Amino acid sequence: MSVMLTKFESKSNRVKGLAFHPTQPLLAAALHNGSVQLWNYRMGVLVDRFEEHEGPVRGVAIHPSRALLVTGGDDYKIKVWDLKPQSRRCLFTLHGHLDYVRTVQFHHEMPWILSASDDQTIRIWNSTSRHCVAILTGHSHYVMSAQFHPKDDLIVSTSMDQTVRVWDISGLRKNTPNNGPNNFETFDTFSTVKYVLEGHDRGVNWASFHPTLPLIVSAADDRTIKIWRMSETRAWEVDSCRGHFNSVSSAIFHPKHELIVSCAEDKTVRVWDLAKRTAIQTFRRENDRFWILAAHPNLNLFAAGHDGGLIVFKLERERPAFTVHGDMLYYIRDKYVRTYDFNSGSDIGLLSVRKFGSPYVPPRTVSYNPAERAVVVTISSDNGLFELSSLPTQSNGEVKDSSADGKRGSAHSAIFVARNRFAVLNKTSQLIEVRDLSNSVVKTIKPPAQTNEIFYGGTACLILSSTTTVVLYDIQQQKTIAELNSPPVKYVVWNADGSLVALMSKHIANKNFSQNSLIHETIRIKSGAWDDTGVFIYSTLNHIKYCLPQGDHGVICTLDNPVYLTRVKGKTAHCLDRSARPRTITFDPTEYRFKLALLRNNYDEMLHIIRTSTLLGQSIIAYLQQKGFPEIALHFVQDKNTRFDLAIECGNLDVALETARAIDRPECWDRLAQQALKQGNHKIVEKAYQQTKNFDRLSFLYLATGSTEKLSKMQKIADARGNPMSRFHNALYAGDVLGRITVLRDVGLHPLAYLTAKTNGLEEEAAEILEAAGLTEADVDDVPAFDKCTLQTPPVVTPTSNLNWPSISMGESFFDRALANGHLDGDGDIPHINGNGLDSGAGASTALDEWAKDEEPDVEEDGWELDAEAEDDEEKDVDEEFEDALEEEDLGAGAAPGVSENELWVRNSPFAAEHVAAGSFDTAMQLLNRQLGVVNFTLLKPSFLSIYRSSHVYPLQLHIRRNPEETLPGRVLPVAARTLSSIRTELSEGYRFVSGNKLSEAQATFRSVLLALLLMVVSSDKEAKEWRDTVTAARELNLTTVRRSLELAAYFTHCQLQPQHMQIALRSAIGVFAKANNHATAAKLARRLLDLNPDPKIVAQARQRIAAGDRNPRNTVEVSYDEFTEFEICAATYTPIYKGSPSVRCPYTDAAFLPEFKGKLDPLIELTEIGATASGLPAPR
Amino acid sequence: MDIYYIRQQFTLGAYPAILSLPLPDDSSPDYIPTLLYKARAHLALGDNTSALALLPTDTENIALRAAAALARGEQGLETLRDLCVEIEGDDDSEEWEKEIVQVLAATAFVRAGEIEEALETLRSEDKIGDEPAALLSQVYLSLARPALAQKVLAPVLKANPDALVLQLAESAISLVTGSQGTSGEPYAPALSFYNEQVANPSISSAALLVGRAVVRILRGELSPAQSDLEEAESILSRAKCEQGSSDMLAAMVVAAGLSAKKGEADQLWSRLLKQYPPIPWSQISVLKNSCSMNALPSLRFLLELSLSLRMNRVVYNPCNDNNSGGTGIHRG
Repeated sequence: MSVMLTKFESKSNRVKGLAFHPTQPLLAAALHNGSVQLWNYRMGVLVDRFEEHEGPVRGVAIHPSRALLVTGGDDYKIKVWDLKPQSRRCLFTLHGHLDYVRTVQFHHEMPWILSASDDQTIRIWNSTSRHCVAILTGHSHYVMSAQFHPKDDLIVSTSMDQTVRVWDISGLRKNTPNNGPNNFETFDTFSTVKYVLEGHDRGVNWASFHPTLPLIVSAADDRTIKIWRMSETRAWEVDSCRGHFNSVSSAIFHPKHELIVSCAEDKTVRVWDLAKRTAIQTFRRENDRFWILAAHPNLNLFAAGHDGGLIVFKLERERPAFTVHGDMLYYIRDKYVRTYDFNSGSDIGLLSVRKFGSPYVPPRTVSYNPAERAVVVTISSDNGLFELSSLPTQSNGEVKDSSADGKRGSAHSAIFVARNRFAVLNKTSQLIEVRDLSNSVVKTIKPPAQTNEIFYGGTACLILSSTTTVVLYDIQQQKTIAELNSPPVKYVVWNADGSLVALMSKHIANKNFSQNSLIHETIRIKSGAWDDTGVFIYSTLNHIKYCLPQGDHGVICTLDNPVYLTRVKGKTAHCLDRSARPRTITFDPTEYRFKLALLRNNYDEMLHIIRTSTLLGQSIIAYLQQKGFPEIALHFVQDKNTRFDLAIECGNLDVALETARAIDRPECWDRLAQQALKQGNHKIVEKAYQQTKNFDRLSFLYLATGSTEKLSKMQKIADARGNPMSRFHNALYAGDVLGRITVLRDVGLHPLAYLTAKTNGLEEEAAEILEAAGLTEADVDDVPAFDKCTLQTPPVVTPTSNLNWPSISMGESFFDRALANGHLDGDGDIPHINGNGLDSGAGASTALDEWAKDEEPDVEEDGWELDAEAEDDEEKDVDEEFEDALEEEDLGAGAAPGVSENELWVRNSPFAAEHVAAGSFDTAMQLLNRQLGVVNFTLLKPSFLSIYRSSHVYPLQLHIRRNPEETLPGRVLPVAARTLSSIRTELSEGYRFVSGNKLSEAQATFRSVLLALLLMVVSSDKEAKEWRDTVTAARELNLTTVRRSLELAAYFTHCQLQPQHMQIALRSAIGVFAKANNHATAAKLARRLLDLNPDPKIVAQARQRIAAGDRNPRNTVEVSYDEFTEFEICAATYTPIYKGSPSVRCPYTDAAFLPEFKGKLDPLIELTEIGATASGLPAPR
Repeated sequence: MDIYYIRQQFTLGAYPAILSLPLPDDSSPDYIPTLLYKARAHLALGDNTSALALLPTDTENIALRAAAALARGEQGLETLRDLCVEIEGDDDSEEWEKEIVQVLAATAFVRAGEIEEALETLRSEDKIGDEPAALLSQVYLSLARPALAQKVLAPVLKANPDALVLQLAESAISLVTGSQGTSGEPYAPALSFYNEQVANPSISSAALLVGRAVVRILRGELSPAQSDLEEAESILSRAKCEQGSSDMLAAMVVAAGLSAKKGEADQLWSRLLKQYPPIPWSQISVLKNSCSMNALPSLRFLLELSLSLRMNRVVYNPCNDNNSGGTGIHRG
């Protein structure tokens, strides 16, 4: 055991008693100074203190199911406390002991409290009645400890009289005694000493029961720990553990493993192997003697109290070793390398590593090599070891043992760096060795800095973690590529494509050597995984959080217990729990997806999220605002005040105006006016000023915009308001001299009015003013004469009153549009496009797999059946050449070329499509001709090309195979460029066109479907049938669309149309019907056309039609056709071919034609020769 | 820049990057190798004139002389033949220089259609160098003799499993044969190679992504392939780099075509044709020959390959295709 991990430490007075809370991260500590502390060891805070005891407190216990705490101290008292946070207080005190109380304990189900005291008694108290219910006497010295058995009605006690005693208290459960006075005789009868265990040479300080086995461990001043076994009838000493060199103060069994943990006054905590009774681990403290140990009932946590405080520790790391490759998790549980499939959930053990390193230590890391299917496992025991072993390829239930072929060595950490290399760090010598798969050292590297740990850094690179930096290091070059200052990095996680890495240290997660975002956490980061979308999801002790690429982070959900994330996929987080069991956690990724979409300007997805989830809330609005997206936040907000604020912020004046109207408060209008002025939208400014009756500014605005009319209006308003100053202003702005004079006169400022009139040359007015003032010219002769005012009101050059100042076009916001439409195109299937969308690819490959399975093995014979006679000779050659290709060729074979893949494809397939894929267009055409009677290949050119180009990739002219797992030359076949399902999709598109009345598009689609079907490969009978069905469907639809166009043309003419439109409709209908030889209807329509008095030229045409109709008064195509009628339509003439009458057929689509079309080109798809003999599609393979 | 990096870039087809490198001082031991790689990069890009301009005329160095001879095309063949004889028993030149002479000479022979002579140049009784071995294996591949290619490569690869050029050649073999390696997955060696190189932080290249996409297409994993291609496209468009966009487009056409996105495929195809003029239909119909006479080694591919052994660039380049008698829409 090389690890004892301290999780928490506190300094205080000497700690004599300790108790874990069963469910919360709380620890009660009884102190020698009389205080009882309640610590939250996870957060590291002192939650509360209980200080009512006088003198040292030695015993403390927390009730297993109720919020109760019991303490016992040197004041002889036992106190019971309420632990509920809102009412933490002493509930009651039990009096009775006559000396120090050493230990106290609650019973796990009965309302009993057990206490041991220096008065040589053990007492049991009923916590309900608060009376003593039993006194166990027998010890002849201080009783140092007493413990209930976890299940049975037993008590184990220890005493300075050097004995350990086991008491049977089953009597007590049956007969709860009367509540009499504390009387020794009464109580004694209920409990008897079952065994007295003698063996220790000094006083015994502590004894406790094994949680499941009939074992007792005791710790004594004789420096030994003794293990005792009990049967029904007797108990005996099994063995002693020697090693402590001073009094052992406490010893307990490990709740889960076969271990004993002890502590002593020799300042050590020791761990012992229960089976071998040997010391495994010693934890030493400089100055503090240890007094007490406590184990957490459920978790791997221990607490030890010493002279200067307490520590909380765990014995081994619980982080399971794991690594993820693709959809597989490779991890180690109970010393077995296991694999877990994220998709199927299958969980298989593959390799035992039991014989690797110390049996008490779980392996620390595992690194997986997919190319060799090998793992490198490290363990921290024996100063670090690694082992390289390969995993069995087929897990047939048998688990391989790594000791069989594993290659080992000493290492602190070891990882694969390439498919045939792994790197090994030796921490003490500070050397990194690169080894090959046979475990021989290929290269030795001296790392550039003191390295504590190495991680995968991309191919041939390592990430070296030291105390202050982390280095990306190229092994081949032996060079530092990048370096980053960071606290010691403990784990690294790469994203799927290796472009980003998260470096996790104790409290900080950061990413990627170039773009680097740091997250500080106050709590340990446990693990992390990359989402498909590039979001880093990480777990701390108690949360799962996310971190976006630019550093934003937040909480996704809270955790009861830590988990180790392995993979995040959509809404599911895969993780391992502390016992290394795979689990999944489902969470809501909406928030971070939204934020991510925001970051990436992926508006479609944002909108989708807005519509489909309930993300709305203050937090997201605040987030959007803070991130500078007020215009998006605007769409979330209903509250008018917030909306107004946001609208102002993003300059959306329309919304601002609308909300300002709704709010209608002066300060809003003011802000709106300011913003609108800034943006130059003076109309809104005007409205805002009008609302607030801000006349001065309004006038000035009109002046600025050159709106003289409005200024004069303002004058009138000012007049009405009786505000001469305002009137004067407006008159001044408007250049209205008379108005000014009037104002001045009205307010009695005759001199000013006079002068104004004078200087503007308005002599009459001036005279009037003089008169009104009761003066004459003579009275004012001392007034100096002014020249006529030469300044005019500047003319308005460009009136802008109806013109807003141009502002930067913001473009139509995506959201405005989408939200205004009220719907989103294809709302349902907006994919989560941030991701890679791997799923569809998987689907495609499964389809391929299925195809491959359907194939029959005897390709060669069946495949060549078709051309058997013609190519007999060639077949022989083929076989020879195959042998040649397969035989072990020697280099002397020289420059004679082998058989190319294209040729193999041609040989292996009887399908035209596959010949096309092989580039053998000639044979493909021959095949099409023979199989389906195709004669016109012009139309097929594009299809040929697209199939050919779809089945080769260019770097090497690589041939894409349908069956990639097949490597025998006789089996390889080209990929299927078009699959039936993809063609069916196209067909359904055609259906949509039909229902959407887009007949020409529909026809084009059906044609292209028929073309595509021509070049299909069928691989099973079922598929062959489907193929035929699809061909028929496409053919029928193709035919029908033509017929439908007739009907619709006719219907069209019955619509209520303007006469000139009606003419057009009728003319087009006549044309269509005439072409279809429906002369009767054409004539009828022509008569209607004549009624509309069209152009003479048209009249002439119409008359022609009528004449034709009279000559040939019948319709060749039944327009309203009944599907149950027993006839087929000739696909060339649209004439019905009644059952029993002769017809010829298209060799491909099986469409019927009148016999006279035999040998002609099929007009429907223009490919085949009507009536040609054809063998049909070859049999599926 | 270290010669190591230059070799890495050259092997992985990053020619423009090499061309932009400054030459080291001519007294430096890296001078000649760097010069050679630059010249070969020019040759790989089809720019013989620049290559010639770069190479000194008065050098005694056999590798430089070989490169110059290769750049002179037909006229250089005799020089190369002489050089091939010269290196036998030549103790003055270093081993790597001899290997380069072999490789360049074989390249020229392949260009001239002298496949037999090329094979003869590359084959050696005893030890064969990494680059000659890689080239030899590729020549065999082009002859559709993958078993021979594998046989040539295997011992060299075993001796030096870390040589990038050998790994590349190995992955090329697996691309052709679909071999499964030890892991039982089709195309495993190629997949591992590209995965590793894509994950290599000291090289970043759209070409590698395209390479991986091609492997994925071959494995039928279309959407991962498309995502690789999209990433490559974004890298290229960011770098405004025409170089290599053709192979990407070609792969995209295939991926789109196979995932039944016909419109998209056609659109990409026309983009590709915009960069490389279209091929007449008549030429395509000649393809019928390709079945019976596929024996003909695909010349252009070899030219490219022998210069660089790269697999990451579209070899298909119809505008340069006129010398080959039109045996197909592409020459693989």
